[in-house]
Amino acid sequence: MHAEAVVPHDEHHHHDTDATDVFGFWLYIMTDCILFGSLFATFIVLNSTGMQASGLKSHLNLYDILIESMLLLASNFTFCLAALNLYKQKLLKVQLWLATSFILGASFVVMEVTEFYHLSKEGFRWDLNGQASSFFTLVGTHGLHVTFGLIWILMLIIQIPILKMNKVARRRMTYLGLFWNFLDIVWIFVFTIVYLMGAI
Amino acid sequence: MDHHEHEEIHQADYGTGQKKLGIYAFGFVSCILLTLFAFWVVLSLKFSKTETFALIYGAAIIQFFIQLICFLRLNVRTEPGRTNVLTFVFTGVILVTIIIGSLWIMWSLNYYMMN
Repeated sequence: MHAEAVVPHDEHHHHDTDATDVFGFWLYIMTDCILFGSLFATFIVLNSTGMQASGLKSHLNLYDILIESMLLLASNFTFCLAALNLYKQKLLKVQLWLATSFILGASFVVMEVTEFYHLSKEGFRWDLNGQASSFFTLVGTHGLHVTFGLIWILMLIIQIPILKMNKVARRRMTYLGLFWNFLDIVWIFVFTIVYLMGAI
Repeated sequence: MDHHEHEEIHQADYGTGQKKLGIYAFGFVSCILLTLFAFWVVLSLKFSKTETFALIYGAAIIQFFIQLICFLRLNVRTEPGRTNVLTFVFTGVILVTIIIGSLWIMWSLNYYMMN
């Protein structure tokens, strides 16, 4: 970046650096995929045939999981609306949609924590057996990612007016957009493999 | 905001494709429908076990691709887009190795210990 002053097409150079940065973040997401892949592999192995029943089935309430899925989907969509408004330079709308995403995502986390609380109260605790440990590790890791995403959304709501919706703001929104959407994609497999398969 | 600035904003998509409300709305509605479908299949108890497996995994895989295309905006039209797809496919290869490999080993282990 120190060579920027002598490069005639300053803006162009900066644009290329941004693209490289976003690509780097994309690579981070890919490594996160591998983390979740390992957790899914552990979960499937411990819950496959030849193992005793995990006991999760009797505690499951699929309607709650359906509501959680909808919250996450809606949160992702409102985030996209925020990103659209950022490109239209409408500050208030960006903040409003980001706040909506935050509320929807926070409701998801609250529902998940409540679910964990009830599971442990009913005796399905993380230290019960291998199945329970793999369940709480997989779903909990996803929940932790969502929690960090929520903190990040709050930070962006504060940062965007300070940055005056410039290139840096757009780049940070792109990062968070990738992250938030990635969590939604992981959730598809969580509800299919963990909850729907667990309920059959 | 002058014309030049406007143009530049639209170019700055980092290989994620242009942002259009229509595509997001389409992705959102189809993901909701697919999620509802998957839960309905399990909750309605109308299908046999094999049919249920096929339907919920089918719905999950379709929703996965819809999310990739509509929200992550994976595409092969631009150079950064192609690089993203390339790394994505590579990650897919690693994931398949980890998951299918683990299942294969554990199932064989189970088979030989029990028979």
